[in-house]
Amino acid sequence: MSQTQEASVTPLFAADDVINQLATITADTKVGALRTHRSEVARYAEGSYYALFEPDDFGNVSRIDRDLIALRVAALTESHPLITWHQERLRHAGVAEAVLTAVKSNPHAAQLSLRQQALLSHVDRLTNAPATATAAHIAKLTAVGLTPRDIVVISQLTAFLSFQLRTLVGLRVLAEEE
Amino acid sequence: MPTRRPFTLDLVLWQPWLPTVDEVDATPEQQALVNEVAPSPTGRPYYALLAHEPLALRERTALMKAAMYSQGGATRADRELAAVAASRANGCVHCASVHARLYAQLTKDDATIRRLLDEGVDTPLGDHERAVVDYAVKLSLTPATVTAQDVAPLRRVGLSDLAILDLTHVIGMFNWANQLFLTLGEVAPEPGATGHA
Repeated sequence: MSQTQEASVTPLFAADDVINQLATITADTKVGALRTHRSEVARYAEGSYYALFEPDDFGNVSRIDRDLIALRVAALTESHPLITWHQERLRHAGVAEAVLTAVKSNPHAAQLSLRQQALLSHVDRLTNAPATATAAHIAKLTAVGLTPRDIVVISQLTAFLSFQLRTLVGLRVLAEEE
Repeated sequence: MPTRRPFTLDLVLWQPWLPTVDEVDATPEQQALVNEVAPSPTGRPYYALLAHEPLALRERTALMKAAMYSQGGATRADRELAAVAASRANGCVHCASVHARLYAQLTKDDATIRRLLDEGVDTPLGDHERAVVDYAVKLSLTPATVTAQDVAPLRRVGLSDLAILDLTHVIGMFNWANQLFLTLGEVAPEPGATGHA
């Protein structure tokens, strides 16, 4: 593990980081040991998670909006650890079960606001068919009041999850082989 | 499906659909960050767009560098090949062109990667390249279906656990990059194209 602290707020790699918690990896397993050889990747993956899900300034995209986006990505990609993680965060924030069910099954459900529906439709496109995106899809987001910064945030959130969920798949497969 | 220029080894310019911090209200902090992380003037618009949320850009840039350049594990060429395969499968002409050039430089062979760009991920390849490309494509397109059977070909061509973890990180990072490049802007038309590129 690196002992040099660079000019970043990111913590050094810790064995209880978000990815190890999601993958239920402990330091005494083969995969746990393997991740310590890539402590820089782990450190900045953790930093990315905190930058996107626990920033000092949420701007116009609330913590609940961020977890709703994450729950949608997790459901679309059948990432069960991420479904559990973000559902727990949303329940802790007092979000109703009917909303959680709607996000997982239908982003156009009546339980969701028009703004949330627009957000989640965009998340579906990023996750399932990013090559079909056009400037008109961005215009739909600005039409519900989202700024360029908001759109960058929801895009980074969705795209970060696409990294995180694939990392979890790779770790699961390597652990299965033990 | 938007029209776009074909996959190419040539330099491809990318233009955002939203104003970047250079065009609106960049703070000194945002300007300094973009100056630090943008690789070249032609690559600047992407970073200047992401600089609307500076900390996420800073962390992501460090993560990409760690995924592509860590010592040991997967070779640099295999990492670039995985990046190209993910980008080709996802349809990201920009990312595929950048990393195909890097792969060609590292391997002194541009015929293989040119064929992968032209013909797609099913083009005939050697066993080693096939194993890397197949893992990259399956983890990109259908991650929930990946099993231990999908890494067995990587083991048969000699990749270690650490190398497989490295490729996993690279493929994850390129799904991240592909989503951003494909949904926040578009590649500029081919020089001399007449609007159908």
